[in-house]
Amino acid sequence: MKLGLLLALLATPLAAQSVRDRLEGRVPAEALPSVDSLVQVAAKEGLPTEPLVQKALEGGAKHVPARRLVAAVAVSLGQLRDARDLLVRSGDEPPVTPTEVTTVVWALRRGVPAPVVGRIIGALPRPPRGSAVHAVADLVAHHFDPDSSADLVIQAIHQGLHGERLLDVSVAALHEVQRGRSRGEALALVRQELPNVPPAPKPERGAVVKARRPPTGQEAP
Amino acid sequence: MNPIDPRIHQVLDGELAAAALPPEARQVVERLEAAAALLAAGMPAASLEARVMTAVRRPAPGGARRVVRWLLTPRSVTFRLRPAWSLAAAAVVALLALVPLERGPLLGEHEGVAQFVGRFPNARSVHVVGTFNDWRTGTIALEDHDHDGVWRAAVVLPAGTYEYMFVVDGERWVPDHLADRLVADEFGRENSVVIVRPARR
Amino acid sequence: MDGRGAPSDTEVVARVLGGDQEAFGLVIRRYEAGLLRFATRMLNSRDAAADAVAESFVRAYRHLASCRDPARLRTWLYRIVANRCKSHLARRPIADLSLEEAPPVADAVDNEAALERAEQLAHVERALAALSPEKREAFVLKHVEGLSYQEMAAVTGERIPTLKMRVHRAREALFEALKEYA
Repeated sequence: MKLGLLLALLATPLAAQSVRDRLEGRVPAEALPSVDSLVQVAAKEGLPTEPLVQKALEGGAKHVPARRLVAAVAVSLGQLRDARDLLVRSGDEPPVTPTEVTTVVWALRRGVPAPVVGRIIGALPRPPRGSAVHAVADLVAHHFDPDSSADLVIQAIHQGLHGERLLDVSVAALHEVQRGRSRGEALALVRQELPNVPPAPKPERGAVVKARRPPTGQEAP
Repeated sequence: MNPIDPRIHQVLDGELAAAALPPEARQVVERLEAAAALLAAGMPAASLEARVMTAVRRPAPGGARRVVRWLLTPRSVTFRLRPAWSLAAAAVVALLALVPLERGPLLGEHEGVAQFVGRFPNARSVHVVGTFNDWRTGTIALEDHDHDGVWRAAVVLPAGTYEYMFVVDGERWVPDHLADRLVADEFGRENSVVIVRPARR
Repeated sequence: MDGRGAPSDTEVVARVLGGDQEAFGLVIRRYEAGLLRFATRMLNSRDAAADAVAESFVRAYRHLASCRDPARLRTWLYRIVANRCKSHLARRPIADLSLEEAPPVADAVDNEAALERAEQLAHVERALAALSPEKREAFVLKHVEGLSYQEMAAVTGERIPTLKMRVHRAREALFEALKEYA
């Protein structure tokens, strides 16, 4: 435990340093101190810092004025805290993992109501839950009822589907709607098919052959 | 949706003077007019003249041209083969599939391929930027090899969820029209979202 | 409407039909701004709108002889573009319907006022995009393009009372959405 604490203490300034390096020259200079301090607050609270760094980099790339950029990073910090609190309220033992916090932030940002996110967390006591929340979020984004969407995904979990296969559940329901079914009919049909929803196609060989690895974020533009 | 005071419609339809409205109803009129003015303004002029006139000057396709176009258009074709021939054909196809003609990147266990496609007919360049490249413009270019206005890129990324946008001609930021996942970017716009699944499943 | 010396639509159409192909450029220059704006508001995408309007102009050129009343060339062109937009919307997959393409926020000359305006515009665009295509078409033709109800009837082929009803419903829905933004 002591070793862990020591490593954490050593790691914090190093992480902070590298964050500053990543932001320098990419965000307005006047925003840098505020963003830096928000990132440090997140680190101290055990929250993931990468979403905040990404938000600042995004704002810098989009030439957003400093004040708005800092406000957006602060909003992101608020979202991380809300997500952590929701995880704890839904039964996760603190400290919650950064990955799970990020997952819940995705769900909330994509419009899944907090109580529905809580139900998914409760139904999937062990992470990862990313695919489950994205599957529900996909349905909610297409005007499916949030509770019914969560019911379907939770039933899929109970029938043994997990990981990326849960995304196939939402895809199957969306396909039914594209074929002219009402949303209610689509959910009922997919529920009947569970757990045998068609898997997503793997990337074609041609696509893999053409694929490139992007340059790492640390390289000069 | 609540119906609004019918006199507001009359004013907006030019059937009644705005002065006849109480102040709060006049505010509704002003609000709607301001919204319409916003929609009418700020549309950059993209001249289509050159593009349209090029098409107009091109002669309408004649008989021979139509035949060539028919031959070049992809169509489904059905072959009826004797079983012996179909076995031989299957063997050739299997052989071709087994012989690697081109080598792609070796994908790790937790890596997948994100495919970005956008239709930008008049673009000179299209890049994709997002959380996978620290929002650096100019690092991942889409390509339009056949000059049909459809730009593509396939990128190897660690499995995960990413936000992104396209940057057209180095200055115009647009979301991906084909993506069906969007999130607010906290700057008044929306980013597209891609979920990269591991390719080795 | 035209300035001094500028040929009327009837004259331009006669010139084109008489073999002066280049005169069609006048038609494009005269109406492309409004048609592009209309198509962009209908399709929520500048690129798709540019395609729709360019295709409509080519179609208009090829069928110019069938324009029965060249004095009403403008409404005839709006009608072609409106039909093009409807076919485009009908072809779009469900997933594509909520997408939008607002003006770029990332501009070197960004300032607070411009950003605020861009935000307001994005909000109005979202509210407009949430309307049904029929109501959206009616609102844009009436309030953005400034067409009369008679002209709208010529463009859409609908009856004036139907169009009035659509415009009224669109105003109500937009006002509701704008209230949320206040």
